[in-house]
Amino acid sequence: MRCCFILYNMRILFVLAFLFCLQLLKAQELFVYTEPASNMSAKSIAVRLNNNLMKETSTGKYNYHLLPELMWGISKKMMIHAEGFFSNRNKNLDAEGGSLYFKYRFYSADEVHSHFRLAAFGRGAYNNSDIHQPSIDLNGHNSGYEAGLIATKLINKLALSATASFLHAIDNGNGNKFQYNDKNRNAVLYAVSAGKLMLPKNYTDYNQTNINLMAEFLGQANLGNGRSWLDIASSVQFIFLSKMRLDIGYRFAVVKDLVRTAESGFLFRFEYNFFNVYK
Amino acid sequence: MKTVLLVTLILFNALSFTSNAQSIKKASLQASGLTCSMCSNAINKALRTIDYITDVKANIRNSSFEITFKQGAKVNFDDLKNKVEDAGFSVANLTATINFENEPVANDEHLDIDGMTFHFLNVKSQVLSGDKTIRILDKGYVTSKEFKKNEQFTKMECYKTGTAAGCCSKHAVAAGTRIYHVTI
Repeated sequence: MRCCFILYNMRILFVLAFLFCLQLLKAQELFVYTEPASNMSAKSIAVRLNNNLMKETSTGKYNYHLLPELMWGISKKMMIHAEGFFSNRNKNLDAEGGSLYFKYRFYSADEVHSHFRLAAFGRGAYNNSDIHQPSIDLNGHNSGYEAGLIATKLINKLALSATASFLHAIDNGNGNKFQYNDKNRNAVLYAVSAGKLMLPKNYTDYNQTNINLMAEFLGQANLGNGRSWLDIASSVQFIFLSKMRLDIGYRFAVVKDLVRTAESGFLFRFEYNFFNVYK
Repeated sequence: MKTVLLVTLILFNALSFTSNAQSIKKASLQASGLTCSMCSNAINKALRTIDYITDVKANIRNSSFEITFKQGAKVNFDDLKNKVEDAGFSVANLTATINFENEPVANDEHLDIDGMTFHFLNVKSQVLSGDKTIRILDKGYVTSKEFKKNEQFTKMECYKTGTAAGCCSKHAVAAGTRIYHVTI
């Protein structure tokens, strides 16, 4: 037990050391596993295709979750996302529900090449699939709601973000109840994210492909039983023609006390932005 | 025939000389709060939706945009600022090149130029002729630190709000009129 604990800690130390050593030239704060405190442009619409390939710990097979997402920049401070959930956990690609996510940027201090922003967000999700793990996930597993805060700092050399939220799981649809004890329906989610722009070395025009690397720590602690999980997620992000985005991410657990049936896996996301869609 | 043509040309020029008074030809805007090219593109596309802008040249590295206006267009600087803010960012600096026609300006005074009210700060009394670059000092056009620093240049209330208050009535500026605080 003790040796595993040390190993886990060493992995964390290694990643922290890596982050510290990053000599960041410029950064992007379009994180892959979390949302930044910044908002979309007003009157813009974006479409996303989120694909999760998660490895089931017990069987070793990969489950596929498809989450199409529509995003709308309502004003410079408010945005809303609507997501649909599809998964092949039960053989076919089934529609399992959806969620609405709302973000409000309530503080913004801008300087040239830097900013500090704060935003509040809320999410409501509906899911009709069976609940097979005590960990709460409103992005494809549980019905429930979430409320939280995001703080994002962009300086010339670094983009950092911290997110914290409260989650509450309700029973899923189709008679699928949350069966891990009512006192365990509440949890907190927390994340720290960092991003670095690798290419281009010099910006000359909008057609240049941007390549970003992200490193994120994601965690959840159940407020009923105190169990938690902690993941490290690393991603590479491509931005094409200053309007399209391709994210490839991988996450794995370093703390697994709060159980998930498929905790590690890949994320492939494609996003397309439409600016100034209406007057 | 040549004399008639010449006279017509001179008359035509003289007429346009008087009817086309001051004109705001171009502006240079630097935005704050961004580093990436997609962010810069959001501002670029937002500025291009303004119908009196004919061209926008972006410098992604400096977060700056060189804007060219339609000849004789009624330019509203607040339109530019609002587009940048709606894109999710702020204006760090805005300068505009205006063609002046022997316009006398005095320090800490209001002046109507082509229907826009300007309040010149930290300038020597002078007559402006030809192309001159002015810089907007209003809130939202400079960093908050600089906005506070420039308070020393006037005691009038309009500086804080950007609209005419009681201070400005002696210059016959109606209350609530938008006043652009500028320097050269």
